[in-house]
Amino acid sequence: MRGADYLIKRTGAALLTVFVAITLNFVLFRAVPGNAITALRCLHCTKQFKASLQEELGLNKPMLQQYTIYLGNLTQGDLGTSLVDRRPVWQNLKTPILNTLPMLAVATIVSVVIGVAAGVMSAWRRGTRVDRINTWTALSFYAMPTQWIGLMIVFYVALRFGFPVAGIRDPTLGILGEPSTWTVINDRIRHLILPALTLGIGLYGEYALIVRSSMLETLGEDYVLTARAKGLKNLRIVYRHGLRNAMLPLVTLIALSFGYILAGAIVIEEVFSYPGIGLATIDAIDRRDYPVLQGAFLLLTLTVIFFNFVADLLYFKLDPRVTA
Amino acid sequence: MTMEAIPPIGGEVAAPVASNRARRGPVRKLLTGDRQALVGAVVLALFVAIAIAAPLLSPYSPTAKVGAVYERPSSAHWLGLDDGGIDMLTILIWGARVSLLVGFAASFMAMLIGGTVGILSGYMGGKTDTVLMRITDYFLVIPDVPLMIVVAAIWGQSLFNIVVIIAVIYWTSTARLIRAQVKSVREQVYVKRARSLGAGNTRLIMKHVLPQVTPLLIANTVLTVATAIFAETYIAFLGLGDPSQVSWGKLIQNSLTGGAIFSDAWWAIVPPGICVTLVILACTMVGQSMEDAMNPRLKVGHLSVHRFRLRSLPREPGGD
Amino acid sequence: MTEAILKVKDLHVWFDLLEGELHAVQGVNFELELGERLGLVGESGCGKTTTILAVMGLLPANASVAGSVFLNGEDILKDGERSVAPHRWKDIAMVFQGAMNAFNPVKRVGDQIAEPMELHGTARGRAARGRVGDLLELVGIPGSRADRFPHEFSGGMRQRAAIAMALACGPKVLLADEPTTALDVMVQAQILELLVGLTEELGLALVFVTHDLPVVAQTCGRAAVMYAGRIAEEGATADLYHDARHPYTRLLFSATPDLHGKEKIISIPGAPPRLDRVIIGCPFQPRCDRAFAPCPTITPRTVAVAERHVAACHLNEVPAER
Repeated sequence: MRGADYLIKRTGAALLTVFVAITLNFVLFRAVPGNAITALRCLHCTKQFKASLQEELGLNKPMLQQYTIYLGNLTQGDLGTSLVDRRPVWQNLKTPILNTLPMLAVATIVSVVIGVAAGVMSAWRRGTRVDRINTWTALSFYAMPTQWIGLMIVFYVALRFGFPVAGIRDPTLGILGEPSTWTVINDRIRHLILPALTLGIGLYGEYALIVRSSMLETLGEDYVLTARAKGLKNLRIVYRHGLRNAMLPLVTLIALSFGYILAGAIVIEEVFSYPGIGLATIDAIDRRDYPVLQGAFLLLTLTVIFFNFVADLLYFKLDPRVTA
Repeated sequence: MTMEAIPPIGGEVAAPVASNRARRGPVRKLLTGDRQALVGAVVLALFVAIAIAAPLLSPYSPTAKVGAVYERPSSAHWLGLDDGGIDMLTILIWGARVSLLVGFAASFMAMLIGGTVGILSGYMGGKTDTVLMRITDYFLVIPDVPLMIVVAAIWGQSLFNIVVIIAVIYWTSTARLIRAQVKSVREQVYVKRARSLGAGNTRLIMKHVLPQVTPLLIANTVLTVATAIFAETYIAFLGLGDPSQVSWGKLIQNSLTGGAIFSDAWWAIVPPGICVTLVILACTMVGQSMEDAMNPRLKVGHLSVHRFRLRSLPREPGGD
Repeated sequence: MTEAILKVKDLHVWFDLLEGELHAVQGVNFELELGERLGLVGESGCGKTTTILAVMGLLPANASVAGSVFLNGEDILKDGERSVAPHRWKDIAMVFQGAMNAFNPVKRVGDQIAEPMELHGTARGRAARGRVGDLLELVGIPGSRADRFPHEFSGGMRQRAAIAMALACGPKVLLADEPTTALDVMVQAQILELLVGLTEELGLALVFVTHDLPVVAQTCGRAAVMYAGRIAEEGATADLYHDARHPYTRLLFSATPDLHGKEKIISIPGAPPRLDRVIIGCPFQPRCDRAFAPCPTITPRTVAVAERHVAACHLNEVPAER
């Protein structure tokens, strides 16, 4: 069966990469001099406190032993303990992750929809003013630092139109009794929408350009001429022969650019003070809370690997030419 | 945080019958009227000039507090003051130095590493190729942001370290590109070598390969400058930049931490981002034009909204 | 003499360039009857592909066209795209150069053959599938292959499938653009045999574009030689071989084939003229071995040198003018 072979190979490769990523993650964060405790910034940490913390967290043990312990802990879902609040890392990250997910989803959908629309329109009307405007707009947004887009949106849109710029919920909700589900959802959406849209705007440019050039490439293929010769109308050709073929690179691009999406999410959450995993990461950076950082990045890396894996599978499914 | 290599914008509309116009080298194309490339080059040159002439151009000192926090723009201070009372225009001009320096240095370093790996890999082939490509793959797996954090923690937050980090993250795409080019050039070179009488020295052949690869390398480097500057703003925003240097990235971060938003100080928020965007766009225009000049995408689309036109028969040409 | 099914009259095609205009086809005339096979030969860039694309109106947006294409007496180019589109595939179909990409790689071959059938109402659903199978058998491919993807076919089979697809809606005129280039000699021979057989069996008219002369000699009763966007000579293939009335034709047909390459390389020193400038006089004159006084300045007319044999060369003009 065409599928099984490929699936096995790809899963194996992904698992190997996961293992390498875990190891790299471990090595990176252990490479910090003074084993992280010394760099820790907290107000009440005396020297003795830090020393006992070191002992407690097993940071005095030899590296290899630490590594084995780390792996063992991972299999039990233990990502370590925060240096700042002494809670398990997972506890610190769970809610932020849940906050980020819907925002990311909306952002990705927005960027893909706008990107595809812009790209197809541009390719269809290649060389015209529409094309030029589209392309330069996409390029411009792609060139703008994501955090700057965020700042501009907060400054010129959010404050002016009364959008919330911090947190995920209105703190006054629920003071005067149990808020209805609708109010809660509405509130969440209001907090989520600007960060998501901003992230989407920052991301769409790349997709638009890729879709455009992919579509142009496709529209120049011989089978498009054949379709035209067969008497198909333009729009039908674009839909039946053009899109399907041009979208292939986009699908993999989206999956592969997940790292880029996450990076953008980190800064957007900082700008909007949106309590997701991005903000948690930045806080951890500021406080040099290495276990949390390590845990966060492990999760992020694993997600990226997962999406790369999905991209491989998707491409395999969509393009009949790809063989094991 | 991989800002992917800028995707191609696509070439111009052209006739399917190949014109006899000679293929122009990328530099010639730059100078002889590809408008996009020209505009980009001019903008870039302008920023570089400003950066170099910073001490001459800036109205004030970049460290001197000359007024109140977030003072509004006036005739004395065209872009007002920042959260430290420093003249915004001055600090913007000096920021150009840092940002452009990091951009060019990181890109240059990435070009050196990536170019070398690419050439060796593409030319040697076989085991060398496999090993080098494996190494490249592993470099891709290294997560960007943790690397930045760790390097900042281990070796401190200096400009040099930032340049190194960026180069380390981005050399791989250059390597891949150059490798592909070298592989295709290698075929031609081997054919030539087979026909010549003398035994070619590897170095001699490098003399054949290098000229063919250099234009692409340069174009790619220009594009990487854009990516590097983008990366620098990111690193600065995470608070991992060089604290003693002010770059545009740092200015953007300052506008957040300094509360520019709530002080309604647009002059602290808008200008650094515009500068970054303009420089990145300029690099993209130049780099993309160069790449297009080398791989002209003359593929005509078979579909268009517009139809072919009808016209009347020409009058009889020539005499008879 | 039977009425010509296809008659191309004074066909001109221009392409807009960034600077100026390319006059790719400069007044082409030819006729074709049912059952006839016409070879259209010339070096690359001479305009032969553009000519047949123009016949079906398959030109890009930067092209402009003048002249007429009479299909069964009706000028289908009269209103441009609007008047030519209804005839596509139903009346005239094309077999493209390099069937490698003529098929969409992500769709099954059978579906792509059925596509025009459904579109033009030739057959639908199960009837269409049946017809697809029949067509494939006709060109020598097992019908079960219809569900495969193009990359699963060999080069020769793909070309056959392309021919099957061209015949899907029962056209009367077939335009083949270098259908056997890039195929190896054995496969080439099979495809040629197939084309000849089909056109005879189905009574089709075939225009066969190629730069490969022996192929033309094998398959086409008549041939037109194109140079610089014009027809240099047209007539029965045998006549062109033995009684060429244009120096270019003579040089072409007597050029020594390259023994090492698969392609018969036409090697006449020099290069064709640029078509983005007005050409004064005979376009072939710079490379011609028989050029004389009028050639550089006066454009040669196309004159009849024998029955159904025309050439555009001053050498054929009435002797008194020399």
